[in-house]
Parts: sequence; C-alpha cells; structure tokens
Amino acid sequence: MNIREKILIVEDEKSIAHFISTILTSNGYETIQARTGNEAMTMISSHCPDLVILDLGLPDMDGMEVLRSLRSWSSLPVVVVSARSHEHDKVAALDLGADDYLTKPFGTAELLARVRTAIRHTRTTSSSSEIAQRGTYTVGELTIDYNKHQVLVRGENVHLTLSEFRIVALLGKYAGKVLTYDYIIKELWGPRAGRDNQILRVNMANIRRKIEKNPAEPEYLFTEVGVGYRMAENE
Amino acid sequence: MRQTQNKAALFPFTFRDFFIFIGIFACAVELCILLRMADSSDGFASPVFVLAVLLISRFTNGYLFGTLAAILGVIGVNYIFTYPYWAFDFTLAGYPLTFLTMFGVSIITCTMTTKIKQQEHLRVEGEKEKMRANLLRSVSHDIRTPLTSIVGATSALLETEGLSEKEQRALLEEARDEAQWLIRVMENLLSITRMGDARTQLAKVPEAAEEILGEAARKFRKRFPEIQVAVSAPDELLLVPMDAILIEQVLSNLLENAATHGQTVTQIQLSVQREQAYARFAAQDNGCGIPPKELPRLFDGTLKHSETPSGDGKRNMGIGLSVCMAIVRAHGGTMEAKNLSRGAEFSFRLPLSEKESPSL
Repeated sequence: MNIREKILIVEDEKSIAHFISTILTSNGYETIQARTGNEAMTMISSHCPDLVILDLGLPDMDGMEVLRSLRSWSSLPVVVVSARSHEHDKVAALDLGADDYLTKPFGTAELLARVRTAIRHTRTTSSSSEIAQRGTYTVGELTIDYNKHQVLVRGENVHLTLSEFRIVALLGKYAGKVLTYDYIIKELWGPRAGRDNQILRVNMANIRRKIEKNPAEPEYLFTEVGVGYRMAENE
Repeated sequence: MRQTQNKAALFPFTFRDFFIFIGIFACAVELCILLRMADSSDGFASPVFVLAVLLISRFTNGYLFGTLAAILGVIGVNYIFTYPYWAFDFTLAGYPLTFLTMFGVSIITCTMTTKIKQQEHLRVEGEKEKMRANLLRSVSHDIRTPLTSIVGATSALLETEGLSEKEQRALLEEARDEAQWLIRVMENLLSITRMGDARTQLAKVPEAAEEILGEAARKFRKRFPEIQVAVSAPDELLLVPMDAILIEQVLSNLLENAATHGQTVTQIQLSVQREQAYARFAAQDNGCGIPPKELPRLFDGTLKHSETPSGDGKRNMGIGLSVCMAIVRAHGGTMEAKNLSRGAEFSFRLPLSEKESPSL
C-alpha cells in the first residue's frame, strides 16, 4: 500500500476548489481544503501537507502574504493559482518562493503536470539528485557535466563561455522550474548587477545557437515570456 | 470637462518650455543689439519683440511663457531699446499701446495654439474611442455565440434522457471548445486593457525576437497539435524593443486565425527577419487564403460575420486582427496581409530602434 500525497487547496471559490479537488483525488492524491488565508496557515501547521495549491485572491488576506509567512519557516512546495495574469504577479510570486504559477483558467493536464513536478522537486529534485550522485544532469541529448564544467550535446563538448556555462548550470540545477530574469542575473553577476536583461538575452541567444538544433524552436531552454527561463526536465 | 482641462494646463512649467523661452528671447535681444549697430533708430525693437512673443507662445504649452515674454518684452523694449537707453521711462508716448499690443498678441497666440493642441488631442481620443467601440461590438458577438453553445450543450446534457455516451461526449467536447474560445477572446481583451494601462507609452524592453516566436509556436502546438508549425529566425540575434506579452498575443492571434479561418491549413511557417531598420514577423499558411473583398477591411474590426462567406461564420475574425493591428501600431509598426499562390501571409514590422515611436 502506498502513502498518498496530501495536497492542501487554498481557494475561496467553491466551484474551483471542488474541481481541483476532484481531479487530484481521482489521480491518487489526498486533498484537504481551506477557504481563507488564516485557515490555510493553521491547516499547514496541523496537517503537514506535501504541497499547497494557493489562490492569491483570498477573502481575508492576499495569498502573497500567506506565501511570505510560509516561506519564513518552510520550504513546502507551493503552486500559486491566480486570475492575475500580468507577468509582474508571476515574477513576484516566483521571487517570493513559489515553486510554480498557474494562471486561471487552466486545464486539468496542466494542473496535474505542475503538481507532479512540484512534488518531485521536494523529494530532492530529479536533477539535483542526479547532480549529487554523478555530477551530471542529462536531458535528451544534452548533458551538463558539473565537474568538468562542460556541456555536451550528443557527446560533443559545445564549448560554452564561463557565463554561458553558469547560466546553463543554474537552469539545470532547477530543471523544470522557471527561474526569473532577476534571479538569474543576481546569481550570476551579483546583487548589484542591476536589472538589465539584455546581457542575459544575448548570452541565452548564444547558448541556444550552440546547443539547440533550431534556436527558435528550443528543445532544452524554454522562455517564459516576460518572466524568465526554464530548462527541460527529464521525465 | 474641457473647462477643467483648460484650467489645469493654463500655466504649466516644464524645463523644455523654459529653454525654448530663454532661447527665443535671447535671440530677440541679440537681434535688436545687432540691428541697433546698423541703424540707430529704435522703431524695429517693438516688432522684433512681438515676433518673439508670438514664437514663444506658439512653441510652449499654456499661457505661462507667452505672458512672461510679453511682460519682459515690454520692459526690455522700454529699458534697453528706447530712448533713454538702459533706463525706464514710463512716460514715453504710446507706451501703454505697445504694452497692450504685445500682451494681446501673446494671449491670442497662446489661446489659439492651446485650442489647436486640444483639438488634436480630441481627435486622437475620438479615434481611440472608435477603435474601442468597434472592438466592443465584435467582442460582445464573440462572447454571445460560444456562451449560447455552452448553455445549450450543458442544458441538453442535463435535460435530455437517453443520450448515448457518444452523444454526451460530443456535447461536452463542444462546450469545452467553446469555453476555450472564450478564453482566447478574454486574452485579447486583456491585451487591450494592458495597452490602456500604460496610457500612451508601452513598457518596451529589448527582447530576443526568436524567443517570442518560439514560445508562441510552442503554445500553439499544444492547442492545435494537428497543424505543423515551423519557426525560422536569422542567425543574427534580433533584439526588438517591445512589450513581449502583447507581441506574443499578436503572434498567437495570427496562428489561430490561420488555423480557424484557413480551413485547409496543415502547415504554418512563422518567421522573423531584419528588413532595414525593422524586424519583419510573418506567418504564412497553406490554407484557402483571404477572400479578396475582405482584404481591405481586415484590420479595422468592422468585418461582420455575415459577410464572411466561409462556413465558419460565427468565428468573427474581426477582434483578433484589430487587436493585432492596435498592438502593432502602438509599437510604431505596420501590419499587412496578402494572399500567396497557396494560402495567406500576415506580416508585421516593428522598429528595431526605440526612439521614434509615435504617441497613440
């Protein structure tokens, strides 16, 4: 018998909470529900769920507040669900520590995929465990060798520059997760690097020209328009 | 409403206007000094300063600098350029008349230019209003039709006994497809509010064109897996100043239009390339093409579904394309559509440099 993952759904709209709960239950998850931010906070500490699906528009407080206070003591995976579709909101939620962001309306397949990914990430990320064990991360024909500081495509070293390698290495470490432009820039060039995305765009374009067959149809390095970049995940 | 606007802009101060004022005024003084070297009479001083007042009123906003120029001009003429030089003499014959003339010129010019500017503003507003009205009209149509099918399909499911599983499934699929169509209508509406938000200026950031193209294609493939999309971008990295979310919306609209109106579309070619100072984005399909009589009215949102001879009459192509047009225009770009030997091509061009973007 397997222990089912417990998912807390924080959503004040009954119909949406009901539909999310139905899908998750029928896909083998156990669900509990909270309607307000305060209720969510108490349920998180008493039920210890494996994942939280968090709506941002709650009646008593902003979902961002829930996320902020949760992140002060826990790294529990959080998938934010929101009707706010402006990329500022996505960036803000991701930078606050959300693992993923779904914009309403979303389909069931998309929801399940995000939930799977987010849960997998806590069980030591698929990529991070592989990196820890073998010092490499492989997806498709792409291999990042963290020990030798190399990226191989079909076994061939593609000769990235130092910055380029560090970008790929960072995205590989969090494969499947969107890293915001600001986050990547800060990790690479320090907190005082400013917010100039252009240098990142140029580096990314160079990387894609080296590792993708067609840079305009990437297989490994995806763009989340207005938000950031994401490395493909090995399933 | 106009009254209050008028009041608010009566005496605005900007440094741009301030420098225009200083510049023109200095030129007038300089000219008078030079003229006096050539001719010792001082008849020229007044007209020169009247001209200066006129120019300042014309090229600055509101009444502030025009009036200031009139007052300073009168004082300047009196102090420097009329006998006794470098001294005030308010007893000069005709002095009040000179003063009144210059004051009058400045007030009248200011009033006239302000009026013209206001009318220009109103005209632009009116055009925007017209675009909004057109959009609203096609939007309400775009929303009503799918809602009718959703309500119809779900009521049929709830109220009809003995439907076969296949029939039930068909109704549910229909309801879902219609709801998805509504989502796309809503995305277009969001694009419009997004443009309204920023008032006249969009938040433009240099973006890699290939990234936006690739993303639009990736999302489209998820929705229409049966249609092949090929994406091509030049080797050179094209950084185009744009609001990436809006341009992605334009690209998805073009892709979706091809899929829903092209009828026989199986392949779409999405491309970007440099064309002098522009980046040219294009979507070519291998479908049935655009009916020639629709071509000239494609982008203004006035195309009614009844005029669309295609079997798929309820899909009003108005909103998607007029949103595209509005977005591209707001970026200072142009958009066009044409028929190929097989299929249609929609393309738009965005300026590669940021400077000359006309206000909406």
